[in-house]
Amino acid sequence: MSVFLAILWKDLVTEWRSRDRVIAMGLFALLVVVVFHFALPEAGADRLRPALPGLLWVAYVFAAMLGLNRAFAVELENDALAGLALVPADRGWIFLGKAAANWILLGVVQAATAVAFALAFDVRLAAVAVPLSGVVALGSLGLCSIGTLFAAISVRTQYREVMLPLLLLPLLVPVLLGAVDATAQLLDEGRVSFAPLQLLLVTNAVFLIVSFVGFEYVLDE
Amino acid sequence: MNAPVIEARGLEKRFGPVVALAGVDLDLPRGCVLAVVGPNGAGKTTLLRLLAGLARPTRGWVRLEGVARGRREARRRIGFIGHATFLYPALTARENLLFAARLYGVSDPAGRAEALLARQGLAQVADQPAGSFSRGMAQRLAIARGLVHDPQVVLLDEPFTGLDRPAADRLDAQLRNLRTEGRTCVLATHDLARAAAVADRALVLSRGRVAHAAEGAPLVGETLERAYLAAVDGSA
Amino acid sequence: MAMNAAPSGGLADRLRVPSGLLLGVLALLWLGSVVRAPEDQMQGVIQKILYVHVPVVFAAYLGFFLTALGGALFLWRDDERYDRLARSAAEVGVLFCTLVLVTGPIWARGTWGRWWSWDLRLTLTLLLWFVYLAYLLLRGFTESSHRAARFAAVYGIVGVLTIPLNYFAIDLAAGRTLHPENLGRGSLGAGMGWPFALGLATAAAALLHLVARRVELEGLREELIRRRAGAREGAWTT
Repeated sequence: MSVFLAILWKDLVTEWRSRDRVIAMGLFALLVVVVFHFALPEAGADRLRPALPGLLWVAYVFAAMLGLNRAFAVELENDALAGLALVPADRGWIFLGKAAANWILLGVVQAATAVAFALAFDVRLAAVAVPLSGVVALGSLGLCSIGTLFAAISVRTQYREVMLPLLLLPLLVPVLLGAVDATAQLLDEGRVSFAPLQLLLVTNAVFLIVSFVGFEYVLDE
Repeated sequence: MNAPVIEARGLEKRFGPVVALAGVDLDLPRGCVLAVVGPNGAGKTTLLRLLAGLARPTRGWVRLEGVARGRREARRRIGFIGHATFLYPALTARENLLFAARLYGVSDPAGRAEALLARQGLAQVADQPAGSFSRGMAQRLAIARGLVHDPQVVLLDEPFTGLDRPAADRLDAQLRNLRTEGRTCVLATHDLARAAAVADRALVLSRGRVAHAAEGAPLVGETLERAYLAAVDGSA
Repeated sequence: MAMNAAPSGGLADRLRVPSGLLLGVLALLWLGSVVRAPEDQMQGVIQKILYVHVPVVFAAYLGFFLTALGGALFLWRDDERYDRLARSAAEVGVLFCTLVLVTGPIWARGTWGRWWSWDLRLTLTLLLWFVYLAYLLLRGFTESSHRAARFAAVYGIVGVLTIPLNYFAIDLAAGRTLHPENLGRGSLGAGMGWPFALGLATAAAALLHLVARRVELEGLREELIRRRAGAREGAWTT
């Protein structure tokens, strides 16, 4: 547990000093929103409406990918990752610390993106802000769990920026479907049924357990 | 007290068809400094990584004070000082040590960090980011980081690399300190002169095998030098 | 010594000829039964592609299951033979999966009138194809072979574990389906049982045979590298 807190503290302090990761992710997510606007110019707000939850999550996933790709850059400098591998604790706690830091950073970016999204496409997100935050947090948890595991893998391969999306995207389908479905229900009806939440909860549980255990082997040589 | 601190039998490491280490035995008592010398690719780093539990041996075993390698209690006994420093440039010297102390569950992280900063002569720069340190200062901080949990076994991988003369001399003195404190050290280097000056045992590795073993101070002698040169030549 | 050092020998080696013969006989029987099977009244001759399509799907899934199994055993026992099994099964599995993704649309074009439908089984198979192609890329892009084996093992296991998750997820989203129901629900017409049964046996045998050959090849390749290193650097390598 102290290992988890130490890693989380270290990652957040490091990010706070430079803020480069959050700024890059945020700018990128905003750009994606702008690109959507130009890519779908004549659609009109009404016809675009069914696609909006999906577009929002596409922006989130792209931003997350950008952030995850950098998550282990700081651990490669001075071979700090080997230093972590030496620690006499379950390496799963190291994973949880890194994943939690990614989750928090992504949450900050997501909040800003949601505001921009609401303004750009005239969506009334404010009315469902609280349940929407819950759904986004839940979806991001699954995204950040295997995302962090695969980032630890891809960062030590060639073409690391390419490798992460190739590894991550095909396995992200349950998270995406559940999160998009729940978001769509919130925007349409102001509330969300249990089915997508159940999918997200089960998927998160599986992803967290697998990543916690798998990290042990990823950090080994 | 005569039980060996580090005990290894038949250590072997293969990566697919590549043999990195082909059968090494070790018996190191408390307070012993072993120098592992040999050319690049002889298996020095592999040996250290196996001892540290960073890699698994293909065959053979390691025990540290009787505890099998790789177990948590074994990792707790090890301080690893690599030629990479394991430091985070964005954190200050003090924060780096605090972080390491928390990772190892040291009981009083702040006090321990303070004591180590003073011991390494870094108290003045404790609040500067580690990224601004010279190679020599970073090395001193890295040693403090490696000793943060007061390990009985200290593994050093090419610690002299990149140090200027005064910094290397200071490192020499630190190694002697580690020995007087009763810690068991394994020092991997390709600098035979430095190794011979500080160690009381030496192992010449060549292509993953022990080409020569020497013991007793002072650790000079033509056989050791000849064995080392032969190892270097043989790998060329 | 050199021959013993290739751990892929043994069982796979001794079974090469018998398993090849078995595969040949099975394939001939299968072909015969497919030709003799009655032509579907609605779909016509194109229906016969299902005698390839369906068995190969199962074989592909078997391959991915073997990949995850090999990966798990490798992580547990740290024995390279299991890694070879995992890698070989992934390669053959991807090959079979590609065959599925080719035969499926050909049949669908003739029967449904379009090449693709985002239905549960199609999407699931497509995702698996992506997962195990990524698996092979990951192996190719990781420099240390030992590290590549560990990374791939973890990824291969996660890939198989997400099959049920994807299943529920896509089921939740899509609901309706064009794809025919699974076997065993009385959907088979008279005379269609044998070609499917023989097809399953043949596809499974083909997968296992190819995986075994691939494992053997990998052992030979490593033996070759070892001997070359030995020849170059004298007699120190064992």
